[in-house]
Amino acid sequence: MREKKWFPILYMFIVTAFFSSIVIGVSQFTKQRVVANQKRSFEQAVLAVLPGAYDVNAGNLELHRRFQEQIDKPDEFSAGAYTIKKDGRLAAYALPIQGQGFWAPIKAVIGVAADKKTITGVTFYEQKETPGLGAQITTIKFRSQFQGKIVSTGPKPLSFKRPGDVLGKSDVHAVTGATQTSARLEKIINEGLKNWQQKMAEGAN
Amino acid sequence: MAVAGEKSEINKIISDGIWQSNPIFKQVLGICSTLAVTNLVLNTMVMCIALAFTLSLSAATVSAMRRSTPRNVRMMVETLIIAFYVIIVDVLLKAYWPQMSNSLGPYVGLIITNCIVMGRCEAYANSQPIGRAFLDGLFNALGYSFVLLIIAVFRELFGMGTLLGYQMPYFSGPHWGKWIIMVMPPGAFFMLAIVTWILRSIQMTREDKQK
Repeated sequence: MREKKWFPILYMFIVTAFFSSIVIGVSQFTKQRVVANQKRSFEQAVLAVLPGAYDVNAGNLELHRRFQEQIDKPDEFSAGAYTIKKDGRLAAYALPIQGQGFWAPIKAVIGVAADKKTITGVTFYEQKETPGLGAQITTIKFRSQFQGKIVSTGPKPLSFKRPGDVLGKSDVHAVTGATQTSARLEKIINEGLKNWQQKMAEGAN
Repeated sequence: MAVAGEKSEINKIISDGIWQSNPIFKQVLGICSTLAVTNLVLNTMVMCIALAFTLSLSAATVSAMRRSTPRNVRMMVETLIIAFYVIIVDVLLKAYWPQMSNSLGPYVGLIITNCIVMGRCEAYANSQPIGRAFLDGLFNALGYSFVLLIIAVFRELFGMGTLLGYQMPYFSGPHWGKWIIMVMPPGAFFMLAIVTWILRSIQMTREDKQK
């Protein structure tokens, strides 16, 4: 049989079927975990950008409980943003945004205070930027810059400036050595914020 | 006699993989991943472990199937086996170590195209018994790992002033102007060239002495 012309084709077919079925089996087996991991990182990202919701020392279960109890799902008044209340009044919005990064989509949550102008934080829960370069957007050093910035009414709600430049109240420093990631991220954040502000304004009328 | 022969063969596999024909500085294979992941020591370590897993098991599997695989489709079969192990690593990282999966980004998938894996399967595994093929894969991966770790330690230390993410004395201080270029792709070329140069020089001096 081995000398037959069709043998290599049959062999390839069997080998492929065998290895593929193992891969399918393993990914089915781990699917729930993968989905749970994604959901968990999203929940934690939402908590992290809202003032007073996140605790570095809290375990995964505790954070999940907080998300369930304290965070309100998006409704028609928040234009797609998750919200948190304090003393019965709306305290801040957590707006999920996403767009194309350098390699793959960047997914983030941006926190905005009840005044709809002050940024309370940014967290990235899914990104595949270059490790060590673009991926520095996930560091606390980069993310903490956003805290307290005021969304500008100009063409760009937030502006990325060259590292070392003097910053205004709506400016943050870009990542050194990651021009592409910085430019794309600036666009993602600004488009996200603009769309949201527009929707909020429409909702208010 | 047979036992002694087996032992010397294993010694040869070890010394070839790690030193004599080291995949990075002697065979100059797998350079793409060397350049890509070595700006952080932690990423490098995980990459090395993933490669060791893929390389040793692919070699063993290729070796196990060597008698039944028709010669004209052997490279397709090898690629398939390599891709199989890489996907398994990727899926397991996603499920059990999502942070690392995030920070390695697209590089895990790129192990499939790492020339070392294909190179060892073609050059060794498809004509040798399973045990030897496994060891050959493992020691080649270790040879790859130690060179990568040397590069990564210097790149992270000089470029960011940290090691494994921890601030290092002096290098993270104000007296050390961080060499940003070390964490950027060009820094990898410089470091790789320097490390290759040094290790090759040591190797050559030793060979001269033996003559």
